[in-house]
Amino acid sequence: MITWPNFFSQLFNGLASGALLALIASGLTIIYGTLGVLNLAHGAMFMLGGYAGYVAFQATGSFTLALAAGALFLIIVGGVIELVIIRHFYGRPPEDQLLVTFGIGIVLVELVRFGFGSLSLTVPPPAFARGITPMGFMIYPTYRLVVMAIASVALAVLYLVLYRTRLGMVVRAGIEDSAMVDMLGINVYRVFMVVFGIGAMAAGFAGIVNAPVVSLTPNMGESILVQTFVVVVIGGVGSFPGAILGGLIAGEILSLTSMVDPAYSGVMLFAVMTLVLLLRPQGLLGMQSRE
Amino acid sequence: MVRRHPLLVEGLTALALIIAPFVLPYLDFAPGTVNQVLVWGLFGIGFDILFGYTGLLSFGQSAFYGTGGFIAAYLLTKNLITSVLAALVIGTIGAALAGIVVGVIALRRTGIYFAMITVAIAETFFFVEFSPLAAWTGGENGLPGVPTPKFAIGSFSYQVSNGWSMYVFLAVCYFVGLVIALRIVRSPVGAILSAIRDNPLRARAVGHRVGAYKLTAFVIAAAYAGFAGGLLGVLQGFMPPDAFMFDTSGQLVIQTAIGGVGTLFGPLLGAAVWLYLRDFLQQTLGLGSAWMLVLGVVFVLLVCFLRRGLIGGIQDLARRFRGARPQGAAPEEAPPLAASAPLTTVGPVRRREAPFSGPVLEARGLTKSFGGLVANRDINFSVAQGELRGIIGPNGAGKSTFFKMLTCELPPSSGRIIFHGRDITGTDVAAVCQLGLTKTYQVNQLFSRLTLRQNVIIAALAERRGAFSLDLLRRIDRVPGLATQVESTLALVGLTARADVAVAELAYGEKRRLEIGMALATSPSLLLLDEPLAGMSPRERAETVQLLKNIRRGRTLVVVEHDMDAVFELAERITVLHEGALLAEGTPTEIQRNALVQEAYLGGVAAE
Amino acid sequence: MSALLEVDRINSYYGDSHILFDVSLRVEKNEVVALLGRNGAGKSTTLKSLIGLVRPRSGTVTLDGTPTQGLAPHAIASLGLQLVPEERRIFGSLNVEENLLLAGLTAKARWSLDRVWATFPRLKERRRSRGTDLSGGEQQMLAIARALVRGPKIILLDEPFEGLAPIIVRDLLATCRTLAQAGQTIVVVEQNISAAMSLADRVYIINNGHMVEELTAQAVRDKPEILHRHLGV
Repeated sequence: MITWPNFFSQLFNGLASGALLALIASGLTIIYGTLGVLNLAHGAMFMLGGYAGYVAFQATGSFTLALAAGALFLIIVGGVIELVIIRHFYGRPPEDQLLVTFGIGIVLVELVRFGFGSLSLTVPPPAFARGITPMGFMIYPTYRLVVMAIASVALAVLYLVLYRTRLGMVVRAGIEDSAMVDMLGINVYRVFMVVFGIGAMAAGFAGIVNAPVVSLTPNMGESILVQTFVVVVIGGVGSFPGAILGGLIAGEILSLTSMVDPAYSGVMLFAVMTLVLLLRPQGLLGMQSRE
Repeated sequence: MVRRHPLLVEGLTALALIIAPFVLPYLDFAPGTVNQVLVWGLFGIGFDILFGYTGLLSFGQSAFYGTGGFIAAYLLTKNLITSVLAALVIGTIGAALAGIVVGVIALRRTGIYFAMITVAIAETFFFVEFSPLAAWTGGENGLPGVPTPKFAIGSFSYQVSNGWSMYVFLAVCYFVGLVIALRIVRSPVGAILSAIRDNPLRARAVGHRVGAYKLTAFVIAAAYAGFAGGLLGVLQGFMPPDAFMFDTSGQLVIQTAIGGVGTLFGPLLGAAVWLYLRDFLQQTLGLGSAWMLVLGVVFVLLVCFLRRGLIGGIQDLARRFRGARPQGAAPEEAPPLAASAPLTTVGPVRRREAPFSGPVLEARGLTKSFGGLVANRDINFSVAQGELRGIIGPNGAGKSTFFKMLTCELPPSSGRIIFHGRDITGTDVAAVCQLGLTKTYQVNQLFSRLTLRQNVIIAALAERRGAFSLDLLRRIDRVPGLATQVESTLALVGLTARADVAVAELAYGEKRRLEIGMALATSPSLLLLDEPLAGMSPRERAETVQLLKNIRRGRTLVVVEHDMDAVFELAERITVLHEGALLAEGTPTEIQRNALVQEAYLGGVAAE
Repeated sequence: MSALLEVDRINSYYGDSHILFDVSLRVEKNEVVALLGRNGAGKSTTLKSLIGLVRPRSGTVTLDGTPTQGLAPHAIASLGLQLVPEERRIFGSLNVEENLLLAGLTAKARWSLDRVWATFPRLKERRRSRGTDLSGGEQQMLAIARALVRGPKIILLDEPFEGLAPIIVRDLLATCRTLAQAGQTIVVVEQNISAAMSLADRVYIINNGHMVEELTAQAVRDKPEILHRHLGV
């Protein structure tokens, strides 16, 4: 039913999920832009962050610590994966890179299933964020507003890191021309490791932030991966602003089309992605097309 | 390659299929599991042709598996068709048609983008099956009641039932599918698909319509998937919706990688490993759902270390046991070319144009700009029949841009290119090669996974069969005139003795000669050579100059080079480019005396 | 006393295309060495072999006593060698100041920004402009400044004057001359013969991947037919 309260509610949902998608996609796009590797394990990293946060929450009861755990665990896992596996695939054809990240994704999912089982687990939202907030013309779940806020803050932090720190400068230069960065005395492999870690962290942090909204299952990252890739394609490979723009667009497409028919929203997104890939492969804000 | 009996693989497979029901039960394989392995194996044959042979990694095969399966199941369960075989065939055709539609969209990109489009397609098909078309497909329940095949000859009829009876039916289907696949892989199309995986640029440059061949592979994979999907419904007595799930595509990819990509049998072996591990790890070892974790780890390890899967690993082991390959009579390196090599024109010149008296190649007002930068400005250029023309120019002269426009790799911003009196501006590389204009590359563009002879064969196939031909079931050695074309090309470049050596083992000079040989095999009337002497030692330079003198007879040659001694020895006329425009043209002596040319090379902005 | 840079019979390949054949050269402290040759001769490959973008298959490269062949570019850069590539390769998405800051990140003895502005006043005016907004001459200046920021023992210039308007070439030449007079060791690869000759103390000529001549600049000026032979037609 398309009514005004429904419409605005979905609009907000779109912003919330869009902000989250933008965060996850930022991680994927800086990995793809810098290393040239499409991380098919990215959805699994989103899921892993949720579970890491769950463990922290069970141990300490603090939602803040859960958020921190989700982020920190993934930056370490990401760095280790790059160091041990991905590093050996830079010279190999892109199909091999796809296969190995695909496999890593499966292993991560099955490890979690082995450790936690397939039944869904819940992380409750923090006390202040429970319930609903009246917003004039509609009422809206408070935690979703919190998600929007946290995701926006995380994106802002990522922005600051990328555009106001030396590390971010190195990453942005590395996306453009990693060989030149090497010639300027900076060990590019170390940069790659850090970038992969940061990318994984973005996904993992989103995973724990999102946990109170959906329940945690080992497979929750599957749909996220494809949606994230669509965002990267729409926004443009290697472009952080593109990931944000693409995320918001994708979030809104998903939410608004679900008003018409929830099942159609996924297909709508894919149709948009295919169109972009065919007509403007470098995306809205991207620089080059890696082909 | 060891010469083996042509039907060895088919024979061994038939034997294995016959023996299997007697052996496998002792390995704890239930007939139901074996049947599933066969269906996955058949599903994977098409996928292996697409990924293993053509190099296109698709995560979307489930779309066609489901399409074929549901079409067949629908026809049978609604009693629209009684013959199971007929339903399967219709399902296969349906899947193939879907393959054409999807392929035309997805194949416009390669690599990662292609893979992700196939993911999107798979998810879309699943959604469509699940929701809008639920009335036809049964939605999340699937279509129950798929009958088993019934064969009637006269008064004798036989209804296939589950278990080993079904095995016989499936084994026959698998065998037929395998035999067809082996024919395809051994056909000219199969060879070209392998070449496309290896070096699609060069496959196009020697005259093949790469896009059409890729679509062919895609449709073949879709057809196999569709047939296998139909068999799945027959095997289970019910068509499940998870045939369309992304997990099905993923499972196919993993199984093929485990078994061995590019072997045709990889998917079968991979399915056997997968299902065996599932049963063994789950039930025997009581690991429960952790079996999938073990499988995942095995998969990652194989991708990292055994790049061609288990079959590849076995082949490597066998090779190591056999020891060093006997070199036999092949000399260490090809002998240098004698100055008096006999005059040959490569093969019967297919393109018998009406005798044309004008220039072979003409460029009129050729200009190319990239944004604000003008790389080539208004160049007029003309080469006469039988000439050997050199193109030189200092750095930044725009030679490579000019050359790329002549070979139709780059469309001009304005101007025309006329070849044998025919305007070829804007034509694509493959079409132009078919007309008789071919190029050799400064950096070798070879099919590095093939032997020397196979490289020449790929080029000659385009000359013999045209840009695109669907001779899927023809044996490659039955292409008329192919052998003559290949052998005379090898003789012309002096590489006959080394023809069966793998490209990776050739010396650099031999590779450069092969580079030229591949172009010659396309029977060009005009050959454009891009820095043919690049990276050569002085001795190799002398040999190549000699080779060029040999091959120019009966052809027109245009050579871009920096080696001045070579250019002045070879060329009858020289064109000098400078700062994007034509600076001078004339005989070598005239060019040497031309003050403008000297200034271009030796001048520059002076300091105060 | 050994030279600051000693290159002894290196052989470099692109894939298996043999580009450099037993190439040797040496560079003394404080001198300017020009490497001349037609395009395709191997000049760029020589510089790339020194900085590690191309790894020589045989032969040695010794920088201030330390062997560097086989090291990764960042390791060689840390030892005091900098390449200004032919395509300049400045980071378009970063501004001028960020390009310079990035270059100095891991440098032991870096130039202060003030020193950069003093040498390249034009860059100071454009300090906040993004790389993509700079003109060709400004990009070249930035590429050189970026290399200098690291205080390298030797700076390698790959065709620095290519594609620039004559007046900009003159400015850039003057800057290079000032740097040389201040003691910077420079190796310059150039097709612009006059520009190269006006800077160089010594000249190497490379032809078809072989080092064919080693002369002082004065010797070349006395006998210009040497240039004709190797570089002309």
